[in-house]
Amino acid sequence: MHIAEGFLPPAHAVAWGVASAPFVVHGARSLIRDVREHPESTLLLGASGAFTFVLSALKLPSVTGSCSHPTGTGLGAILFRPPVMAVLGTITLLFQALLLAHGGLTTLGANVFSMAVVGPWAGYGTYRLLRRYDVPLMVAVFFGAFVADLSTYCVTSVQLALAFPDPGSGFPGALGKFGSVFAVTQIPLAVSEGLLTVLVMRMLVQSSKGELTRLGVLVASAAGRRAANPAETADSAEAVTR
Amino acid sequence: MLPIDAAAHSSRWRRRHPVDKAVLGLGLTVLAVSLPPWPGAALVLVTALAVLLGPAGVPAGRLWRAYRVPLGFCVTGALTLLVRVGGPGGFVSWAEGGPLRAGEVLLRTSAASLGVLLFAFTTPMSDLLPRLVRAGVPAPLVDVALVTYRMSFLLLDSVRRVRRAQAARLGHTTRAATWRSLGGLGATAFVRSFDRAARLQSGLAGRGYDGTLRVLVPEARVSVRFTALSVALLAALAALTLVLERPLS
Repeated sequence: MHIAEGFLPPAHAVAWGVASAPFVVHGARSLIRDVREHPESTLLLGASGAFTFVLSALKLPSVTGSCSHPTGTGLGAILFRPPVMAVLGTITLLFQALLLAHGGLTTLGANVFSMAVVGPWAGYGTYRLLRRYDVPLMVAVFFGAFVADLSTYCVTSVQLALAFPDPGSGFPGALGKFGSVFAVTQIPLAVSEGLLTVLVMRMLVQSSKGELTRLGVLVASAAGRRAANPAETADSAEAVTR
Repeated sequence: MLPIDAAAHSSRWRRRHPVDKAVLGLGLTVLAVSLPPWPGAALVLVTALAVLLGPAGVPAGRLWRAYRVPLGFCVTGALTLLVRVGGPGGFVSWAEGGPLRAGEVLLRTSAASLGVLLFAFTTPMSDLLPRLVRAGVPAPLVDVALVTYRMSFLLLDSVRRVRRAQAARLGHTTRAATWRSLGGLGATAFVRSFDRAARLQSGLAGRGYDGTLRVLVPEARVSVRFTALSVALLAALAALTLVLERPLS
């Protein structure tokens, strides 16, 4: 859910830009360091950005009958980690603003904060927490993607409620209004994105062990064992993820 | 290629320097956001529309198809401003001045979106991204953005073809099949993007890749006349808003 161009008052637009900047700068610095040490990562990172952009362009069947788009932040954070997602998410949002008219330039800071900072961190945090308690991989992936999508939508509602407080009940009333209007599409969409991410991850575990190992999603030795024994199912990968 | 970028490549202003178009398009957006919605944003909206359909030569149909996307969000968001929660009228009642607030937001958003669309419909990304290095953006970041941009079209094309193949194999006939197909589509996009990156890496390594992607940028100079006219137009809009605002309010 992107806030459209010009929707936020100037002070709010600037404030959200300032709030997002440290995360994007931190991600950019680590990305630049990585590219300088390993020049070939430019292509891999570009491919990751393109994957995130394309994932956000997939049409999901929605419960309300219409079609919606996933944010892709949950899967992106699990695969590429949140700091990298802050940069890739910013690039993706910039492209969406200029190539698809989704979001905007004045609202880029607010959209980056919700979709490229809070979403990835919340989703990744949930995924890591669940994995720490030995929750099965696909369950952790589902909740990681679900929380990433839902937190993005919650932060956007907070941003809108802060910009347009209710005349009667102020911020809480406005939060309820924006939350309930967008919940009709966003809660089913979060469930849909969780399911889609599980399906994608299941196929990736079966078909792209090398890439997942390189990204650190699978542990090298165990991935190698599974590669040597293709009879093992995707579920057995649960024991070897970080 | 995406419709807005395709239109930008065949735009009348394609050969103009991105700075020329940024001053005009993004200047209109800044005015729309910072001036009072009435009459400021209304004036910006009319001006942006006139420039888009007139000198910039953007086809009306293409503009509408791009413009309705942000408009949908704005209408949904503005609807919430019509009601208030709590108060003497019950739990939810009509907000006093709600239609005015909603109208102002709609006006501001519509005008600001047109400003950005003016820039987007006349400036291809391939002209803009390489020049960001001169604007102070670190080269590695610009390189990643360039690869993302160029690979996105190839991936979108792959995804379209895979979707067509899935449909031909009855992959979208039931809800369960649609979900399975979608999962396959996402995984295929991942595999193909990494495969392309690996092949691109091998190709570039063979040509002595040193970590910098050098691309040809079309020659263009900043037009002092165009920029001065744009600044004059923006200043006139701001002045007209301040003049008209007082008697109307």
